[in-house]
Amino acid sequence: YNEALERPHSHHDASGFPIPVEKSWTYKCENDRCMRVGHHGKSAKRVSFISCSMTCGDVNIWPHPTQKFLLSSQTHSFSVEDVQLHVDTAHREVRKQLQLAFDWFLKDLRLIQRLDYVGSSSEPTVSESSSKSRHHADLEPAATLFGATFGVKKAGDLTSVQVKISVLKSGDLNFSLDNDETYQLSTQTEGHRLQVEIIANSYFGARHGLSTLQQLIWFDDEDHLLHTYANSKVKDAPKFRYRGLMLDTSRHFFSVESIKRTIVGMGLAKMNRFHWHLTDAQSFPYISRYYPELAVHGAYSESETYSEQDVREVAEFAKIYGVQVIPEIDAPAHAGNGWDWGPKRGMGELAMCINQQPWSFYCGEPPCGQLNPKNNYTYLILQRIYEELLQHTGPTDFFHLGGDEVNLDCWAQYFNDTDLRGLWCDFMLQAMARLKLANNGVAPKHVAVWSSALTNTKCLPNSQFTVQVWGGSTWQENYDLLDNGYNVIFSHVDAWYLDCGFGSWRATGDAACAPYRTWQNVYKHRPWERMRLDKKRKKQVLGGEVCMWTEQVDENQLDNRLWPRTAALAERLWTDPSDDHDMDIVPPDVFRRISLFRNRLVELGIRAEALFPKYCAQNPGECI
Amino acid sequence: DDVGSDADAGSASRKWLCSRTDICTAEGEMVAGLQYAPEIFESQRDCRLSCGKYGAIWPMPTGKECTISHRRVRFDPWKVRFHVVAPGEAATQFLRETNRLFVSNLLKECIRNCTLETSKQILVRSTVANESLVLDWPTDESYALVVRTTETATFVDIQATTVYGARHAFETLSNLVTGSLSNGLLMVTTANITDRPAFSHRGVLLDTARNFVPLKFIRSTLDAMAASKLNVLHWHVVDTHSFPLEITRVPEMQRYGAYSSSQTYSRQDALNLVKYARLRGIRILIEIDGPSHAGNGWQWGPAAGLGNMSVCLNQSPWRRFCVQPPCGQLNPLNDHMYAVLKEIFEDVAEVGAPEETLHMGGDEVFLPCWNNTDEIRDGMRARGYDLSEQSFLRLWSQFHQRNLNAWDEINERMYPGIKEPKSVIIWSSHLTNPRYIETYLPKERFIIQTWVESQDALNRELLQRGYRLIVSTKNAWYLDHGFWGSTSYYNWRTVYSSGMPVGRSKDQVLGGEVCMWSEYVDQNSLESRIWPRAGAAAERMWSNPKSSALLAQRRFYRYRERLLARGIHADAVIPHWCVLHEGQCL
Repeated sequence: YNEALERPHSHHDASGFPIPVEKSWTYKCENDRCMRVGHHGKSAKRVSFISCSMTCGDVNIWPHPTQKFLLSSQTHSFSVEDVQLHVDTAHREVRKQLQLAFDWFLKDLRLIQRLDYVGSSSEPTVSESSSKSRHHADLEPAATLFGATFGVKKAGDLTSVQVKISVLKSGDLNFSLDNDETYQLSTQTEGHRLQVEIIANSYFGARHGLSTLQQLIWFDDEDHLLHTYANSKVKDAPKFRYRGLMLDTSRHFFSVESIKRTIVGMGLAKMNRFHWHLTDAQSFPYISRYYPELAVHGAYSESETYSEQDVREVAEFAKIYGVQVIPEIDAPAHAGNGWDWGPKRGMGELAMCINQQPWSFYCGEPPCGQLNPKNNYTYLILQRIYEELLQHTGPTDFFHLGGDEVNLDCWAQYFNDTDLRGLWCDFMLQAMARLKLANNGVAPKHVAVWSSALTNTKCLPNSQFTVQVWGGSTWQENYDLLDNGYNVIFSHVDAWYLDCGFGSWRATGDAACAPYRTWQNVYKHRPWERMRLDKKRKKQVLGGEVCMWTEQVDENQLDNRLWPRTAALAERLWTDPSDDHDMDIVPPDVFRRISLFRNRLVELGIRAEALFPKYCAQNPGECI
Repeated sequence: DDVGSDADAGSASRKWLCSRTDICTAEGEMVAGLQYAPEIFESQRDCRLSCGKYGAIWPMPTGKECTISHRRVRFDPWKVRFHVVAPGEAATQFLRETNRLFVSNLLKECIRNCTLETSKQILVRSTVANESLVLDWPTDESYALVVRTTETATFVDIQATTVYGARHAFETLSNLVTGSLSNGLLMVTTANITDRPAFSHRGVLLDTARNFVPLKFIRSTLDAMAASKLNVLHWHVVDTHSFPLEITRVPEMQRYGAYSSSQTYSRQDALNLVKYARLRGIRILIEIDGPSHAGNGWQWGPAAGLGNMSVCLNQSPWRRFCVQPPCGQLNPLNDHMYAVLKEIFEDVAEVGAPEETLHMGGDEVFLPCWNNTDEIRDGMRARGYDLSEQSFLRLWSQFHQRNLNAWDEINERMYPGIKEPKSVIIWSSHLTNPRYIETYLPKERFIIQTWVESQDALNRELLQRGYRLIVSTKNAWYLDHGFWGSTSYYNWRTVYSSGMPVGRSKDQVLGGEVCMWSEYVDQNSLESRIWPRAGAAAERMWSNPKSSALLAQRRFYRYRERLLARGIHADAVIPHWCVLHEGQCL
């Protein structure tokens, strides 16, 4: 047993790029399908899978455009170095933000062109420093990435790609549910120059235009160049204003890097709200400026925390990708570890039932913890935290107060003479009042709470509260909430809970929703249609959100749990495609398109789950 | 403010205690009325090393002797000295490599800094009685491990019959070590452990045909298997979808069957994997599936003048020709197919260890495929067969018998020193129906890998008929389940609780395998699908515990943390709070 053989340096193993070169096949487009044909030493020009896919069949933009799209059959080749930006806007801040977004767009193009890997361009090898660089702590991309050229530059048939972005109306860079996200994109070839024009009314529309442009560009491993259409025209707008993903960072801690990687995927899929479930009963990883004791007592360890700078960094990064960060400090329930230091500071019990046993008496999941609704210090602390979070992620018209799963038996131990439901309602109203104080005296237009027994009453005014509906999609509460005039965001457990299907993590109690929500289940879920909502009620549906609760998920498998299933939600909410298929069957063409989108995620370093055997990816339509 | 000096501030300054109920508890969170051992530990992981009869050892030792002290010795991993006592040069060299792997694993437990100015010496002596490097079902994998500490040094004495027992002892020794929050590593001062596996076949099936798995991920699978004392990687390397393995005698297989030229395993890759695995106490059992599940890679027959070696290849609509697209089933009437298959077997025999055998597949033969193929129907009639199911089963069994003969001939020629003919393994199927298995598959030569559900009578019936079994209980050990159709996910508790059938004699049930079929899995989710659940099966097959998963959970969570430390992206199975607060999330 020679040690030298223990770590083989095989040629194949050195090929670290996650999308392999597949030179043994060429592809032909027949009946809108790419057919795989052996290409063993033949003299005819080889057509790679991606080049065939991008010019065969329906448009490969995910989510599918909603208004108009025209793509020429002719394509051109170029290198990322040929791409230049010109911004046309009267708003200086918008110009700066667009420049930032474009810089990251170019970084992504370099990944797509396999340039940010050391080694020859024909045999890319992943370098640790290169793979780390895309998530560098600084928001500004390193200049060397653009000054230096790795590998051999090849000349395409285009000498330049001029991208002109025009933001005509709004100079607003603040997220709101009224952001105009529409965009128009057109490309035109003039000689050896490609003119790309993105026209939008706001930064956010322009940002989505960039995501579409990125999906009109692909890498061909035959000439190692980027390719795009000679002419194209896309006009697009989302059906729903709120297209979200919730990540729970309390059951398990997630690094800033993994959160940013998630946001990159969201940006490519044109999702716009990252709901950050920052804290829960298990841990309090956020380091508050005013009350650092929360993290000192509540974080799993000193290194498993988010500083204010981290939160700001994530929010600024997310804006580059057109994604709003919505922080949630869950309250009054789901608040325990981190809130147990009150008495030592002379503030009384800030929370109750912390880690109390037997847990099933006092909460829905161990450990227990619920804020003390009669302690004024509790409200003061919440106000300060809201203030801090709004400073780093706002200004905004949307905030999340939590309000999930209050266990009245917990409070009953202490307040046996009180109307507990009323106490809960008072808490939410008081939290709202504190939020208003934290937001310079103005309540955000949409303040969200999870659906609960409380939202089934009319205690919370529908003019101020939006309800995130997580219960089953057939529950009566879905109709009642809309009838009671609330705006809603759907996150139905039976379709859009991505944590389902991994069994119970404890021996007692109901700790599992099952089965696994496949991407088809996520995609087919269309509650507004099934509920037959009239126009008025449909307008109350702000959108939807997939939820990744992390009892059984940590950083080691975040990507493959989220993607590409989250992309299925993206198309449901952006495009809201209608079809005549049975409820549980996805149209065949969607398989092909989501498979290509999944490959795009993998190109960007997101470890998305496989959808089917590789044979089925190479032979679209054969496995349905 | 005074928060920084608060006794409860930060986990770094907390002390931990071990309760009489084997729960590690942080100081300040002790339960009134519960008794605690007097020793104080610096961290939860420190406490876990010895809290409970089996401490943090995974899988649970099976010998009568298992004592672990609560005291610790602090040491620098570079100050560990090794002494090998082995009868032959090969065994000596193997153990030297094992020593190096052990140090490498120790280093992965370092938290802050592992260098110590003055460190106690750790002297490890491993003594092996047998010089053989053969790893087979009869191989003795037992060991005895004694740790004792004096004023000057800590002595570790490992006694084993074979190098594989010794390597398992080193694995257990790594479970007696954890990183210190301040400096260096901590090891228990005293331990006395005897251990041996309950089953000799403890496997993981890895399917690299439906989705290609790069070598790096196969090696990480082997690393995780080594950490779990699993000893067989069942490499389902080819299937209808693709044929990525290089066959030097028949290069067309890979050329026509691989997804791409960069998604292949060369002959050298396979040889290197076999060596890498063996050093970790793992055999690589290659499966060349057939007659079904054989398609892409076999389509070059007509152009080469060999006729259709595989039929129904990539046929549509696939539901008429196979159970899963794409279709492909070998043509049992084509002699050229047998000649090619024999060449494939020769390559496989060369790549594997001399004592290694072959998995011939044999699952899910779709008789309508053959019945829908004119060439085969005509050929059967020409041989005097009718087209009944019985005739097709007979044809199918002849396929296996003919391949068995080829395999025997290859081994006689290639490894004349091995006297006994090697038994081959096939999947349970219609052919292994108890009503006629004895007609078609002699028990002396065929080992059956069953994949029936736990309550199915097949295992019992085959055992009664004297067949040797490898068990892959579909409704507990199929790790691809839960993500498609109406299948369910099996969490680690379900995997752990799935029992093994009992044979008439001790070695009739060779063991089992968890199966990672890769229709919906590639490198991006492979590790989180397999681990740490496969570790639960590892304890089932090594220890065959009578106790429940409930009692194993604290050791299991620590085992998962060790996998993470070794770079395996193992799934989370419970909120982190529950890992840190033992016994609070029942």
